[in-house]
Amino acid sequence: MKSEQRQAIEELVYRSCLALDARDFKTFLDLCDESFRYSITTHSPEIRRDMVWLDHDRKGMETLFTNLPRHNSDHSPLTRHVTVYTVDSSEKEASVVSALQVFRTQLDGGATELFAVGRLHDTIKLPAVKLAKRVVKLETRLLGYGYHIPF
Amino acid sequence: MSKNAAQWTATPKFPASHFVDSRIYTDEAIFNEEKEKLFKPAWVIACHESELPAPYDYRLATHPAGVPLIIIRGEDARVRAFYNICPHRGNTILYDPSGNAKRMTCIFHQWSFDSRGNCVEISRAEQGYQDRFKKEDAAMREVRCEVAFGGFVWVNITDDAPALRDFVGGAMDILEPFMQQPMEVFHFHKALVRTNFKLWHDTNSEFYHDFLHYFNRITGMMQPGYYERKYTPFPNGHATVGSMQIQYDKYEGSKERAVGWPGMARGGWYMVDLFPGMTYNLRTSVLRIDTSVPLSPNEVLIEFRGLGLKSDTAEERAQRVFDHNMIWGPFGRNLHEDLLGVTGQGRAMRKGTDSRYVIQGREEASTIHDEVGMRHYYAEWSKRMGRAAYDPVRAAA
Repeated sequence: MKSEQRQAIEELVYRSCLALDARDFKTFLDLCDESFRYSITTHSPEIRRDMVWLDHDRKGMETLFTNLPRHNSDHSPLTRHVTVYTVDSSEKEASVVSALQVFRTQLDGGATELFAVGRLHDTIKLPAVKLAKRVVKLETRLLGYGYHIPF
Repeated sequence: MSKNAAQWTATPKFPASHFVDSRIYTDEAIFNEEKEKLFKPAWVIACHESELPAPYDYRLATHPAGVPLIIIRGEDARVRAFYNICPHRGNTILYDPSGNAKRMTCIFHQWSFDSRGNCVEISRAEQGYQDRFKKEDAAMREVRCEVAFGGFVWVNITDDAPALRDFVGGAMDILEPFMQQPMEVFHFHKALVRTNFKLWHDTNSEFYHDFLHYFNRITGMMQPGYYERKYTPFPNGHATVGSMQIQYDKYEGSKERAVGWPGMARGGWYMVDLFPGMTYNLRTSVLRIDTSVPLSPNEVLIEFRGLGLKSDTAEERAQRVFDHNMIWGPFGRNLHEDLLGVTGQGRAMRKGTDSRYVIQGREEASTIHDEVGMRHYYAEWSKRMGRAAYDPVRAAA
C-alpha cells in the first residue's frame, strides 16, 4: 500500500470521529458509502453471549440522526480518541482496526471522564476511500444512563 | 404565583396516601431499614435459567440486601443458590460472573464445594483440625431458590419467609399465558445510576411520564386504547398494567413488529411491577426484566435483561434484538430518557436540596395516567417499614 493511501484511510477514520464529536451527522454520512452499515457490539461475560446494541444501515443511520433532536438526551459532549492500529488492504477495500476511547465532558464545570473503551473495526471502500462498514466493539458495558449518539 | 419557604414545605393539598416525603429517597437510616424490612424477606429474581443451560453452569448475583450469591445448576439439573462466601475465612469463592464449576474451590486455601453446597475438600484437614472440624461442618450457606414465572431463578435469603407463590399472588396471572414457551436471555447490561432505587420502580409504575418519550408520544399515546389501559393492584405491593395495541410504524424508522409474541395480540404490551423493585415488561416482541441492587440512598445498580424465545430462528432473534435496541438498549430511544429522568430526580432530591414532597395525586379511574401504581407501592412500603411514606421521620419516632 502506498503511504498516500494509508494516510487517506487513517484520515477518513479520524475525520469520521471529528464529525461525530461535532454532531455534524451530514459530514459523517458524507464519509460513508451508500452501502454503509454501522453496529455497536459487545460481549457479556455475565450471560456468555455476544450482543448487538445498535445495528443500522445507512438509511437507518440517517433516520436516527433525524430523530435524535426530537428526543430528550444528555447534552454532554463526547470526545472520541482513536488510534489506527492496523490497515490491511486489497485493491477494493481496506480493513482497519483502531483503538477507541470515548471521553465525556460535563457541561456544568467541564469535568471529563472516561466514558467507554473499545475498538473500531472499519471496512473502507477503495479507491473511493469511503466508510462501508463500522463495527464498534465495546469493552465498556457500564454506561450509566447511556447515550443517544453512536460512538 | 411562585411559593415562599413556608408554602414550599407545606403539606400538599392531597390525601396523605397521594404524596410521599422525599426523605424516603435520601435518608441513610431509612435506606438501611429497607434492606432489612423490604429486601431480606422478599423473593427476588437472581437470573434466568437460560443463563445456566448445562450442569455445573453457575451465575453470580448480588442480592438487593447485599448478599453475594452463587446460582448453580447441579448434575441433577436442579438450580440451587448459595452465599458466595467461603465458610472458612470469609473469602469470595467464585470470582467470574459466570462459568462452569464442577467443584467450587476457594482460591485462598483450596477448600472445595460441590454443586449442592457440600464441602468435599479441606486442604490438610486432619493435620490442622484433627477430629475437631470436618468437611461436614463446612458446608456452604444455601438459600431458598425456585425457577418460576417464565424460567426466572428466584431466591429468598430468609428461611421462614412465605412461599414464592404466596408472595407473588395473582400478580403474574396476566403474563402467565405468554410465558408457556421456554425463553432465553439475549441482552444483559447494568446501569449504575445516581438515584434512589424506588425512583426507578416509580418510573416503571406510572405511565404519565410517557410525555418524556418522543417515541411513546408518537406511537402509543396517539392511538386508540391508550387511555383505557388499566392498573390492577395486588397484595404485597405488586401491580399490573393491561395491554393496548401499539402501532409502531408511526415512529419514523420503526415499523410494525414482524415477530410478535405467542398468544399476544399484535402490538400488545403488558407490565407487572413486583414489590420491592422488579419489573416484567412484555412489549410486542421482547420481554424486558428490570432488577435493582440498591447501593446507597442515592445510588442503584439496575440490571436489564432482554429475552426472546428459545425456539427463535436467527431471523426472528435478530428482529427481537432490533426491536429491543430501538427503545430499550443502552443507545435506545427510551431507556436513556428514563435513566436521565431518574438521575435528575436523584440530583434534585439529594440531601440539602430542600426537596420536600413528591406528589402521586392523579386519579383517572386506574387508567394509564392514574398514579395508583405508585400509591399502592407506598401503602405496602409504609406497612412493612412501620413508617408512613408521607411522614417517615415522625412516624418512626
